Amino acid sequence: MKILLTIAWRNIWRNKGRSGALLAAIIIGLWAGVFTVSLMGGMLDQRINFMIESEITHLQIHHPDYRIERAVDMFIPNTIEIREWLEEREEIHSFTKRVLSDGMLQSPVKTSGVRIIGINEVSERKTTTFHENLRKGSYLEGDIRNAILIGEKLANDHRLEIGQRLVLTFERTDGELSSGAFNIAGIFRTGSTQYDERNVIVRSSDLMSLLSSYEVYHEIAVLLKDVDNATYIVEEINHNFEGIEAKTWNELSPELGTLVALGGFMLFLVTMIIMLALAFGILNSMLMALFERIREIGMLLSIGMSRLRVFSMFILEAVILTIVGAIFGILLAVLSINFFARNGVNLEMFAGGIEEIGWPTVIYPEITAEEFTYIVIIVILMTILASLYPAWKAFRVNPMEIEKDT
Amino acid sequence: MAVIRTEKLCKVYNPDTIPVHALRDVSIEIQKGEFTSLVGPSGSGKTTLLNMLGALDMPSSGKSWIGDVEVTSLTDKERINFRLHNIGFVFQHYNLIPVFTAKENVSFIMLLQGVDPKTISERADELLEQVGLGDRKDSRPSQLSGGQQQRVAVARALASEPQFILADEPTANLDTKAAMNLLDLMQKMNEEQKVTFVFSTHDQRVISRARRVITLVDGALYSDKEQEPKIVLEPK
Repeated sequence: MKILLTIAWRNIWRNKGRSGALLAAIIIGLWAGVFTVSLMGGMLDQRINFMIESEITHLQIHHPDYRIERAVDMFIPNTIEIREWLEEREEIHSFTKRVLSDGMLQSPVKTSGVRIIGINEVSERKTTTFHENLRKGSYLEGDIRNAILIGEKLANDHRLEIGQRLVLTFERTDGELSSGAFNIAGIFRTGSTQYDERNVIVRSSDLMSLLSSYEVYHEIAVLLKDVDNATYIVEEINHNFEGIEAKTWNELSPELGTLVALGGFMLFLVTMIIMLALAFGILNSMLMALFERIREIGMLLSIGMSRLRVFSMFILEAVILTIVGAIFGILLAVLSINFFARNGVNLEMFAGGIEEIGWPTVIYPEITAEEFTYIVIIVILMTILASLYPAWKAFRVNPMEIEKDT
Repeated sequence: MAVIRTEKLCKVYNPDTIPVHALRDVSIEIQKGEFTSLVGPSGSGKTTLLNMLGALDMPSSGKSWIGDVEVTSLTDKERINFRLHNIGFVFQHYNLIPVFTAKENVSFIMLLQGVDPKTISERADELLEQVGLGDRKDSRPSQLSGGQQQRVAVARALASEPQFILADEPTANLDTKAAMNLLDLMQKMNEEQKVTFVFSTHDQRVISRARRVITLVDGALYSDKEQEPKIVLEPK
């Protein structure tokens, strides 16, 4: 074995240019695989976290038909009992109750259909990060009567500024139409212009007074200490309370679940493409090495080196190269991920428009230990698999190849 | 007992398309300690016969023995192992392992045989001394002249303590001085240590040194003569 290792190691360095290129291919292939996965993973996570943290939270409670009908009279019937239950649970970080209504926003310029979200500013701030999206003005904590927050896109479309008034018209719980004048207290900008164009935020108490003669809440958003508990908390809520329906974040927003699945598939695809390119590079280099040394292999077989040893020699060369390449590739990947996880990768100059559809432009790559290990294993396996064919060709060399002229 | 014995060896290439008869019923015997040249014009079958004698190739028909082993009945794997322990090779292009030093090249075959490291080191040093390269044992082939490389190849061929050494055109790439030195060395080993050498050559310098000359023409044995060795300086 020692002699095979020695000959394999020295063979690697007899053509420094080719081995260097092969080593570079392994290092870059591994780094590219790991970095791509971490970048896409970071992007997906940021998108999902943004959706969860800014609005959806880990689970929500509604009237069973509300999410389909979106009717204002489909409110949660037992908010007090649910609130008490939620307050007792250790798994709950915080929760907030919302009043929801679809209505019309009128300004001197035009009319738009909007979703009106009535929030409790204190509990909302504890539960979501929506307040961080405020770009101008103040949140809803001030003294402004009938204060409203509108999205930057909506404000631009309606040429509205802070301090100006607008009118919201919506259906009451008794079926009558109701209107109210609201004062613009702040302008927000989330990652999604679509969201900014279609949602306005008011105090739940202001909206409720116009909507109904009694207390109504259409949505309770719950933030857990650990997202992994979402499924069983939802099961318990649904088991303990009638006339409501609790759902986890991925049930509430199936597109996020699809995004995760699709993201996983895309990552697999990208990784496989990189690895295949790497494998063919290695195959090409190893075949070149074989054809250059075919007479030498003929000589080795002539003097009595077994075919298995010749085969092992080629595989060992690939394994040594892979190990050396993998060490440097892992090092490069760890260093670059660490650097960009702190500083972010700014994609604005390449894809500025993605922010408009709710995707972050500054990505903080992240990768799990399992994903990292998986890529390292794939690279090692690919390299060894790619060297099998040249090694097999070496195994099959006729010792009389030695007689061929150079 | 003969070191090498062949019985009606035939080799036909492309038997199903355009048959080429490379060997036709060649039967020879080579005894221990012989210094034999296989000669003949290009295409006469010298190399084919050498390949048969070296158990590198299998005949289309006929049999051959090395010692008391019928090599034509061995499998590919058995023949590789047989070569390792019984046959030494010296090639026209030296064919040393370029990444090994002279000593490592000589040691390599003993490592394959599983000889213990101490013996390998001592024997490699001794063989390199014998071929006059004791002071170049740490040089790689690229740092040696053609003649020196071929002498390392001879030391390597001797390292496995084979029954005989096959040399295919050993002087073809050497100048007169290097060729003479190599032939002196091989002749000395033959005379002093009774090492059996079989050459395939058309180099007159080698032929003239041989005590036996086997001539092949068109794949058949044309003549088999013994002669008094002499020194010729011109290759042709």
